[in-house]
Amino acid sequence: MIRLENVSYSYPGGTPALRNINLEIEEGEFLGIIGRNGSGKSTLALHLNGLLRPEKGKVTVRGLDTRDFARLPEIRKLVGIVFQNPETQFVGRTVEEDLAFGPENLCLSPAEIRVRVDRVLAETGLEKYRHRSPKTLSGGQGQCTALAGVLTMEPECLVFDEVTSMLDPGSGTAVLKRIEGLREKGKTIVYVTHNLEELHAADRVIVMEQGKIVREGQPEKLFSDLPGDPGLALPSLIELAAQLRAHGIHVPWEKTRSPETFAEEICRLFSKT
Amino acid sequence: MKEPVFSYVPGTSLLHRLDPRTKLAAVMLLGVLTFRAESFTGIGALFVLFFTLALLSGVPLKVFARAVRPMVLFITFIFLAQLFFTEGEALASFGALQPSLEGLENGTRIASRFVLLLLFAAVLTASTNPSAITAGIERMLRPLPLRWLGVTSFELATMMNLSIAFLPLLFERVERTKAAQAARGMDFGKSPFRSIPALAVPLLRGLVRDAGELALAMESRGYQGRARTSMHELSMKGRDWAALLVLLLFSILVLGL
Repeated sequence: MIRLENVSYSYPGGTPALRNINLEIEEGEFLGIIGRNGSGKSTLALHLNGLLRPEKGKVTVRGLDTRDFARLPEIRKLVGIVFQNPETQFVGRTVEEDLAFGPENLCLSPAEIRVRVDRVLAETGLEKYRHRSPKTLSGGQGQCTALAGVLTMEPECLVFDEVTSMLDPGSGTAVLKRIEGLREKGKTIVYVTHNLEELHAADRVIVMEQGKIVREGQPEKLFSDLPGDPGLALPSLIELAAQLRAHGIHVPWEKTRSPETFAEEICRLFSKT
Repeated sequence: MKEPVFSYVPGTSLLHRLDPRTKLAAVMLLGVLTFRAESFTGIGALFVLFFTLALLSGVPLKVFARAVRPMVLFITFIFLAQLFFTEGEALASFGALQPSLEGLENGTRIASRFVLLLLFAAVLTASTNPSAITAGIERMLRPLPLRWLGVTSFELATMMNLSIAFLPLLFERVERTKAAQAARGMDFGKSPFRSIPALAVPLLRGLVRDAGELALAMESRGYQGRARTSMHELSMKGRDWAALLVLLLFSILVLGL
């Protein structure tokens, strides 16, 4: 779906934010990108639909080069990004108009825009807020509207850049549920976060540090290998499994996905003895 | 919460259903008309027209009153200035100040004109969704050779939309910055001027950052500043042309009075 080859980037007058990144994002994959603040993970996200273009190397989306200005509209139709702050990504005065913004840019007919907006409003359960200003919504609803605004463009790949970092835990979980639903519909998901806990559902996780990919792998396996890092707190179940392991009790990493699977495994182990 | 001035009141009246371009043209025409109508009969006719439109729109009258209220002081001032400083037949005498009959007439005329202007503008904004207004303006500007100025009508429309949408956010940010400064011991009570630099710098910095984030989000959603469509379908229907015709006849009548 998206291929990054030897991508390097520095902000004007700053230190390099990305150094020689090679990454291939598969169709239908759920990729997690994790790293501390300043590790380059958001810069990487902005490269995925040509909002930033690499200084060296190249990024291609289904073969379209992001440095080719003429192809940017197509690329942005394929890859949508949901940003961290819901307040600064609304353009419309009402939820409905905000959802129409993307399709309007794609120059769709008014009738087609209506159809898409109505469908996404129904899918996301935002119908009752249709005529409300998106700025009056709660954080969770706001982020849901931001996602809806991207969905009306019908992208193949969705990039989430720390979307839960300004939300309360309950709304965060709701947003995550929605993202997993999208993945089931076959969308490619790229999820950027500094919270490992959110990446249990990912197929693959990459860890970034100082603009480089330092680790890569299946989430539970990867987390268990991570050295104690103050910037990245381990998910509590992984932590627990690691502590148990030190006491000679082996809970397989894939069982740390949820408290339910973890509890079942513990019960199974104890019923054996 | 305080109701905003010139707010939109959703509805399905004939006025609501007219094309925004019809209403924009009508307001422009009426604006010219209020300043061309000299006779009190003409001005009276315009007031009658306003009340007819207000009734047609089904919007409560207090919405229109709200549009005039902030300007009452200004209008009163103009009225008094006209009353006292127009040469003519004295009505009474308060020392050096002598209100004249001509002054009273002029004052009433000018005050009525301002009030009418505000009222007609309020009819437009109350019966038309703001984004439909911008869509209408965009469509009317499109034939102009704006690219000589380096902009497109689409960009102008987006700018208008964003300004309308971001005004409330601006005020909210002022309040937030104020609170943040107050929490650090800033005293806003004593001198209003001292607080300006303390507010302006963080406010501007915050706004520039917000604008940057917004621009990124807009670009990400395919915004190019070039041609785009609108969810609000604009089509001039029979009723639009009929409304404009009626208005034209009304204008000729008023000018003749």
